[in-house]
Amino acid sequence: MIEQIKKIRWSHYIAYIVIGLLLLFFAFFGPTDRSTQFMLEKIAISIILAVSLSLVVGFLGELSLGHAGFMCVGAYLGGKASVILQSSLGKDSVWNLILSLLVGGLVAAICGVIIGIPALRLRGDYLAIVTLAFGEIVRSVFLNSSDSSFGGTLGLSTPRYDRNSLYIYAFVIVLITLFIVQNFIRSKHGRAVTAIRDNEIAARSTGINITKYKLVAFTISAFFAGIAGVLHSFSNYTVQSATFGYNYSIEILVMVVLGGMGNINGAIISATLITYLDTKLSTILTGDRAILQNLIYALVLILIVIYNNAPALKSFRERYNFKVLFNKMFSKKDPSHRADDAAKWDVVPTKIEMNEILSVDMKPQNLGSDKPQKGGDK
Amino acid sequence: MNISNLLDCSVMSGGGASFGDKLADIGRELITIIINGLSVGGIYAMIALGYTMVYGIAKMLNFAHGDIIMVGAYAIYVVMLISNPIVAILCSIVVCILMGVLIEKVAYKPLRGASPLAVLITAIGVSYLLQSLAQIIFGSDPKFVVVYDFGAINILGVRIQVFTLVTLAVTVVVMVALTLFVKMTRIGRAMIAVSEDKGAAQLMGINVNNIITVTFAIGSSLAAVAGLFYLLKAPTVSNTLGAMPGIKAFTAAVIGGIGSIPGAMLGGLLLGFVECIAAKITVIAPYTDAIEFSILIIILLVRPTGFLGKKRREKV
Amino acid sequence: MKFTKYLCLILSVVMCLGILAGCGSSSDSDNSYTAENTEFVIGVSGPLTGSAAMYGTAVKNSAELAIEEINAAGGLNGVKFKLEAYDDVNDATKIATNYSSMLEGGMQVSLGTVTTTPGLEFKNLAKEDNVFYLTPSASGDKIPGDGIGYQMCFADGNQGKVAAQYVNENYGGKTIGIFYKSDDAYSKGIFDQFKANLDSSIKVVEASFTDANATDFGSQIDTLKECTFIFMPIYYTPASLFMTQAKDIIAANGVYYGCDGFDGIDNIPGFDINSIPQEVTMLSHFNSKATEGMAKEFIDKYVKKFGAETLNQFGASAYDCVYAIYNAMKEYVDAGNTIDVTISASDLCDILSEKFADGYKVEKAVTGENITWESNGYVNKGAIKYVIKAAK
Repeated sequence: MIEQIKKIRWSHYIAYIVIGLLLLFFAFFGPTDRSTQFMLEKIAISIILAVSLSLVVGFLGELSLGHAGFMCVGAYLGGKASVILQSSLGKDSVWNLILSLLVGGLVAAICGVIIGIPALRLRGDYLAIVTLAFGEIVRSVFLNSSDSSFGGTLGLSTPRYDRNSLYIYAFVIVLITLFIVQNFIRSKHGRAVTAIRDNEIAARSTGINITKYKLVAFTISAFFAGIAGVLHSFSNYTVQSATFGYNYSIEILVMVVLGGMGNINGAIISATLITYLDTKLSTILTGDRAILQNLIYALVLILIVIYNNAPALKSFRERYNFKVLFNKMFSKKDPSHRADDAAKWDVVPTKIEMNEILSVDMKPQNLGSDKPQKGGDK
Repeated sequence: MNISNLLDCSVMSGGGASFGDKLADIGRELITIIINGLSVGGIYAMIALGYTMVYGIAKMLNFAHGDIIMVGAYAIYVVMLISNPIVAILCSIVVCILMGVLIEKVAYKPLRGASPLAVLITAIGVSYLLQSLAQIIFGSDPKFVVVYDFGAINILGVRIQVFTLVTLAVTVVVMVALTLFVKMTRIGRAMIAVSEDKGAAQLMGINVNNIITVTFAIGSSLAAVAGLFYLLKAPTVSNTLGAMPGIKAFTAAVIGGIGSIPGAMLGGLLLGFVECIAAKITVIAPYTDAIEFSILIIILLVRPTGFLGKKRREKV
Repeated sequence: MKFTKYLCLILSVVMCLGILAGCGSSSDSDNSYTAENTEFVIGVSGPLTGSAAMYGTAVKNSAELAIEEINAAGGLNGVKFKLEAYDDVNDATKIATNYSSMLEGGMQVSLGTVTTTPGLEFKNLAKEDNVFYLTPSASGDKIPGDGIGYQMCFADGNQGKVAAQYVNENYGGKTIGIFYKSDDAYSKGIFDQFKANLDSSIKVVEASFTDANATDFGSQIDTLKECTFIFMPIYYTPASLFMTQAKDIIAANGVYYGCDGFDGIDNIPGFDINSIPQEVTMLSHFNSKATEGMAKEFIDKYVKKFGAETLNQFGASAYDCVYAIYNAMKEYVDAGNTIDVTISASDLCDILSEKFADGYKVEKAVTGENITWESNGYVNKGAIKYVIKAAK
């Protein structure tokens, strides 16, 4: 029994431990070359974005293609705040960082509430296009701003934070993000959110306040996207609206999907790997070979998604995956024979499966309906 | 509002131009806007039809649809180097169909039954793949190709580009043909069956895989026609040709109600009008995209499944 | 038991990362990055993919062409040059990575960025390390300056001013049209200055577009249809589309007046500029149909090596940039000083910025003659009004 509790704890907190140790490591032997520092900043930003989007896509089950829009709001507002604050607080003051982060995050959170309202009425792909539209509208507003307010077409000039400490702060913020998002998900509120994902009507019938939880999920997600945006403005000299197009939202979505839906640790790993590869590819493939970057990215994306999701490859995947290889290396036990499911706590069955299970269970209620939707209804 | 302004103007200008003349001017202006709107909207509608077909049957957002347009336009460019426009158009349709079917077989079919999000990501991957392949093959500079110059005609003092009428006519014909095809033919009815319930359709002896392949073939041939329209309007093709039209047509399809064929037409034309009116007003011209997307949001808030989208009852 | 297993995993991850990080953590001393250099390294960041790829490609090709020639002629006292071209997709967020990898890869002098959009980011980073850059085509007003940044092209604001002067002199009291791209720093920069310097007697009709891939200008043409003079501070691809679509609508004796972005418009394969009845004029420093002088030589060499598709003023300007840097270094060496191949970027920057600020002159180049630079980094050379095609 005690053994089991320990196991749960470890798998929950492994991300904190790894990042915490990394932080300790940075504090004493931090890299001094700037390409590594820049990359670490980017990785931290990607992790925050992926974790926050994972809350909406993985746990609430709504497709959002406008995450970069929230980031855009955070980057511009937080960047503007830091421009104003730096004169009184100093460019590299921690208070400047904290206050700007709060400003950017809170304004983005307000946008999250605004975009959460249509989310109450719309579903699936309709919501996806509305979030995409939101992102493009935000971008267009900042692009057409006057030069004195948000810099217009050339973008907002922001002070770049001291590069020797920014990446450390960035990872501290990653830890805070993880702490808040993980705790939210594991609280009763988080369970309510996953219940909405698995079946909204069933969730409502058990007394869950759908409106409240959808809005809360969107708001938290937008808040951290805004935080990531502020970090972006601190790690660059200019904030340009072109950065935050729908392609960026898609990139974040790719991180979440490749990491495994509703799997925070997976999102962290895939955000790290994708950002790392992206940076490395762009420095290795230069000059005439630059075009290969996109080609490789596209091919890898298609192959990984097919490998991870194709129903035909299911048995192959179960035989050769990281967990099995890992267990082979460290012990002879196969994880599928283990009784506990605690290690897989985050990995919940997909929506479709849940729907089918429920529709079989509650068959009598369906008799009066006109058109059956799923094979299971018959 | 407009007319009272107009009266003021004519009074102030000392009656230089008569009221009737001014009215005729306004009328001509309106007709021009309508014609331009129809011309832009017709292309959007054509792309949106493809989106809607694929979405209705395969239940997936084919993000690579816009890039099929680019493939079609490049195909026309290549064939035009050695042959005449008719051959080029036919070749482009064939190439697009082959490309669409190939993409479906290689990238989407293995994922049938997997989560819709996985299919969406693959579609995005395919889109990136097509764009970078096009740049590798054709280079980064836009290619210029004049397919055919229809010229222009004057109607009631309004200049109308003939291809605008051609675009519109073809789009309407295609829309009607598609509707009839889906309603009347065996394959069409099988499509409806597949879109309603894949499992049940299969039990009824419909080969679901074949039906989806046919859908992709039709969608891709529509993309080829859209590519042709683009070339008629602006004789240039580059590897990012289809990116923004793809998104706009997706918006149009959603406004009309995804899955509805007349809806796609309606959404496309509406977007076309909005775009043309916005471009005419200097102050709001830079915000054209934002306005279009705002209209989308407002429409969806009022009608969550678009103008003609089917409301599906949610079942437990 | 379990505890040790996880500890092993964590420690191994940390160690791996430590090794990764350790690789780069050399000391920050002055020429630590360039100590291994066997050639002078010139860095440039530009769009090699995406919708602006043709501009970046032209710059990369032309810079390579110039470097090849310099190397074939023996380099700088036997030391050769090398180009590092990184792809930034016209996106400022790529600059931090590109810049730091170039710097750590031994870059000693730079051509900055090809386009204006990511240029400010580059400028600020270069300022941190005191890296000299001479940009061929990032024409934004804020791009050069701080004693380290110089332009080979005309600054946007100046182009706008000169164009406004021309219009004031020739079109006073008349109505003119402007067609520009409202979300593009280049186009908007020229447009703003043009409008600010225009006589109040001139009535202006504006039309704009936003999407980089916009191909349909029906509404804009309709707005501008009464104008006989249309100022177009845009690049040649959309301009050619506008002209094709407007050829029967705009008056046949109309004038299209463009800036250096127009160059290359008579060079688009498949686009016959003679089918356009209106006059096409540009104010530029390079004409890709030049028939004499260095411009002609450059065009011949470029077309022979890379084809005519990507020939434009971006490339011509980049070619001049490389030679300007080379000649400045050569003058310095000829004056009895030495430049070691392992010289740090900062030291080379001091040498070059002193020369450029102190009346350094390029007497003959592809994009002009007697080129000098102002202390704020703007270029001083003659802008030539090219009538690309007269009205029919």
